[in-house]
Amino acid sequence: MLRDMDEEVRFHVEMRIAELRARGSSEAEARAEAMRRFGDTDDYRQHANRRAARRARHHRALEWLDEWRQDLRFAVRQFRKSAAFATLAVLTLALGIGANTAIFTVVHRLLLDPLPYPNGNRIVLLTVQTPNRGPTPVSIAAVSAWRARAHSLEMIAAVSVNALLVQDAAEQDTIPASVTSNYLTLLGITPVIGRDFTDADERGENGKVAMITYGLWQRAYGGRASAIGERVRGAEGKSYTIIGVTPADMSIPMSFRQRGAKLHEATPSIWVPAPLDSVGTYGEVFGRLRAGVSAEQASVEMQSIVDSARMVASGGLVPRPAVCCARAMRAQDLIDPRETRAIEVLFVAVAVLLLIACANVANLLMSRAWTRRREFAVRTALGAGRGRLARLVLTESIMLALAGGVLGVAIAWETLRVIIALRPPALANLADIRLESTVLLWSAGISVATGILFGAGPALFAGGRSVGDVLRSETRASSGDALARRTRSALIVAEIALSLVLLVGAGLLVRSFITLLETPLGFEPHGLIAADMLLPPPRIMPQVEKPAVERAILEHVRAIPGVLDAAIGTMPGDPYRAFGTFTVDVDATGQSHAIQELGTVFMTPSYFRVTGMSLLEGRLPDSTRWGAVGGPGAAVNTAQPPTEIVINQTLAHLLWPNGGALGAMIHSGRPRGPRESSVVVGIVNDVHMPGRAGDAPTEYQMPVPVEVPLVARFRGSPGEMAATLRRTIAEADSRVVRQTIVLGDDYFRDALAPTRFAMSLLGGFAIVALALSVVGLYGSISYSVGQRTREIGVRVALGADARAITGLVVGDGFRLAAAGAVIGGIGAVVATRTLETMLYGVTASDPLTFAAIALLVVGIALLAAYVPARRAARIDPTEALRAD
Amino acid sequence: MARDTSDLLHGTLDLLVLKALSWQPMHGFGLTKWIEERTRNELEIVDSALYKALHRLEDTGAISAEWGVSDNNRRAKYYSITTRGKQLLRTEVATWKRYVAAVTGVIENA
Repeated sequence: MLRDMDEEVRFHVEMRIAELRARGSSEAEARAEAMRRFGDTDDYRQHANRRAARRARHHRALEWLDEWRQDLRFAVRQFRKSAAFATLAVLTLALGIGANTAIFTVVHRLLLDPLPYPNGNRIVLLTVQTPNRGPTPVSIAAVSAWRARAHSLEMIAAVSVNALLVQDAAEQDTIPASVTSNYLTLLGITPVIGRDFTDADERGENGKVAMITYGLWQRAYGGRASAIGERVRGAEGKSYTIIGVTPADMSIPMSFRQRGAKLHEATPSIWVPAPLDSVGTYGEVFGRLRAGVSAEQASVEMQSIVDSARMVASGGLVPRPAVCCARAMRAQDLIDPRETRAIEVLFVAVAVLLLIACANVANLLMSRAWTRRREFAVRTALGAGRGRLARLVLTESIMLALAGGVLGVAIAWETLRVIIALRPPALANLADIRLESTVLLWSAGISVATGILFGAGPALFAGGRSVGDVLRSETRASSGDALARRTRSALIVAEIALSLVLLVGAGLLVRSFITLLETPLGFEPHGLIAADMLLPPPRIMPQVEKPAVERAILEHVRAIPGVLDAAIGTMPGDPYRAFGTFTVDVDATGQSHAIQELGTVFMTPSYFRVTGMSLLEGRLPDSTRWGAVGGPGAAVNTAQPPTEIVINQTLAHLLWPNGGALGAMIHSGRPRGPRESSVVVGIVNDVHMPGRAGDAPTEYQMPVPVEVPLVARFRGSPGEMAATLRRTIAEADSRVVRQTIVLGDDYFRDALAPTRFAMSLLGGFAIVALALSVVGLYGSISYSVGQRTREIGVRVALGADARAITGLVVGDGFRLAAAGAVIGGIGAVVATRTLETMLYGVTASDPLTFAAIALLVVGIALLAAYVPARRAARIDPTEALRAD
Repeated sequence: MARDTSDLLHGTLDLLVLKALSWQPMHGFGLTKWIEERTRNELEIVDSALYKALHRLEDTGAISAEWGVSDNNRRAKYYSITTRGKQLLRTEVATWKRYVAAVTGVIENA
């Protein structure tokens, strides 16, 4: 280019010189004049250089693009020709990428971005948790203080769903929720039609206004825009003017159910504005973190505000016990740490799986690189540098990886379906999981990264080979090949080691699961069904009526054909928890014990028969006392005889380690109040729900007039029984507002679900990992047999028999497998420590599991080596020595 | 349209070059001669500026270049106008006329 421009200019200058000379100037004059006419040569030279450089860059870019297109076309042709290799590679990668995508979706949905609102990660639930006493309602004083002074929170809103306002089942459709006017703003959403609440609405200045949910809008108002301004009837006969409609996917974040409470899950249909003071008292208080502030920082600030407020209120002295533990909790913080751990483990497991897949494909590619060495030599001879060859190989790798990625998305989809089917209840919001764009981007990203990762090895091997050597037929291994062989072996060993780690983890989880299954429950869930009923508020149904209502319902249920017996009571293992100080009288040795937390199950005496629990000592409470007011925490007339209770073994051992529980008394104390006493009349067995360490200390006593569930034992189809039960209860008393029916089998299955979830997924990934490793091993050994055909031929010719050859090859395989097993074993010892919180009945370094898995892996590896070994043994020496 | 000095110079040269090439393809020296003749030696073009203009116009696609043989059997680079160049020429002529009219308007009415 530069030359071009120079020649052009030279022509011009010479023409001018010629012209000037023709007009009579001398050579020197002409030249001088021509140069003058030309102008500033330095400037021009700069221009010319710049232009040439620009042009050169442009050409290089075009060349690049062209080469790249060539590479792509070539790669596609290659893959079509060796379809088997391409298919194997793509499938392998698809498995790895697919598993990763699926688990990343879960991680993204649960841990990274759980709330479906803009800035969802900044929404926190404001709570106060007293250790030893469980969660306490957040006081309005605290909330007001936070609203005024907390810098870490941008805003505070509250929502309260008062299902107790609903009078009867017919009103279920119009459950109201009270919200502060900034609730939608905090969530970051706007009404579909109409307007949002304002402070004036909160103060009631605009009369009774409300927003309705999308569902109600469609159902009762046909989705008409004219619904704005119409009236809607809420609970208790109140009527509101509709001012807006909330979006379809709006709900209450971090709902009660997710926090494990057993309250009735009520979905509101109407949102009514109210001030923070009234909403916050019974509802949930949410805050939005200021950008850049963490939940921990907010918690600390909240706590210090509360502390200083108490200091001021108490004139500088902080009374004890201090309110503790104000916390701002994000949705992620509400997940059981064991579930979080399980997901983290799975995330690592799929990463390992992807590594194994990459190792396999790298091996495949390296073998092919060897096969293509002549092609590479020719390319080098034709002028391709190492970089060019590397680019070629990388293009092929990335293409394979992207193809694997596309197929992987399909695999991820299927895997997600399995995950959703397996999900434990704590991960309930996995139900509406989709492949979102973030996840697809992630998929594409790891596909490309994978391609580069496994392409790097072969790319490095592609160039750098002496052209002459290769084009001449060479059968002696050069040092480069030894390196390739060692790398391949190292990859195989690594794959086996990693697979072993995954398998050991899965094995430990399987044993845990079996332990859980075999631990005697203490009751019989199969054939058990529970119904939790919500009765109307006291002004509709006075407290004193409730025992009679429940007795009536119980009789109706007992009369259902197929029901063997029914009783009042909750599902075993899940009592109502009370906090306080429970003490006992001094025993014979002068000691007295106390506990701070007690579980209570309200039941009628046939409860134990219905649930399948056993009375170990003593007798059941006197059922004529049903309806008498009692129970921990209730005010009582001390003239009443003490409540008769039955306790479980745990409670008996806690309070009377030396025995003597029967006939003894438990006193529940409060700092300033009458002591409430119960007398132990019987002892029942503990309930061991899977996943819980032992049973909570529990007392069983006759019901008090609050809502209590009932349980029934039945024969027949569970689905039909559930429907019949629901119908019967509704018919028995139409004032029952809502029912939640739970089958014993489901209850038990849900408790098992976390372990089953982790076990199945980890097990599945581990098996795939092992399969890939074995395929890799098989491929590697087959390949090396192919490489060593000559050598084997020589051995056979020198007298080695089939057994010796087989032994030779299998020996190679064994060495790889054993090395992998040892390394994997060491790695597993370290890795399985992360599973400790998820294991039952096995330790993280259980030798039996380790040994069994190691034997399994080595055994399968030997089998994989055996097939090529047999092939090797049948090599005809004359063929071998002739062939190349 | 505001134009500063270098813009003006560029623009005028471009205009002349395009107009010249709209007659027939020429090499750089030929262009110089053509412009000198046509302007009756009123304008003396600095050669390096001309070549810079030619290269610029070639890079933007207004003219295209080809090596050829000159009248005296030497290798020379011939430039010809493209369709795009023709369009550009039309625009530049219109702009030039407007510019001239504007300036004339000022100086004649002072």
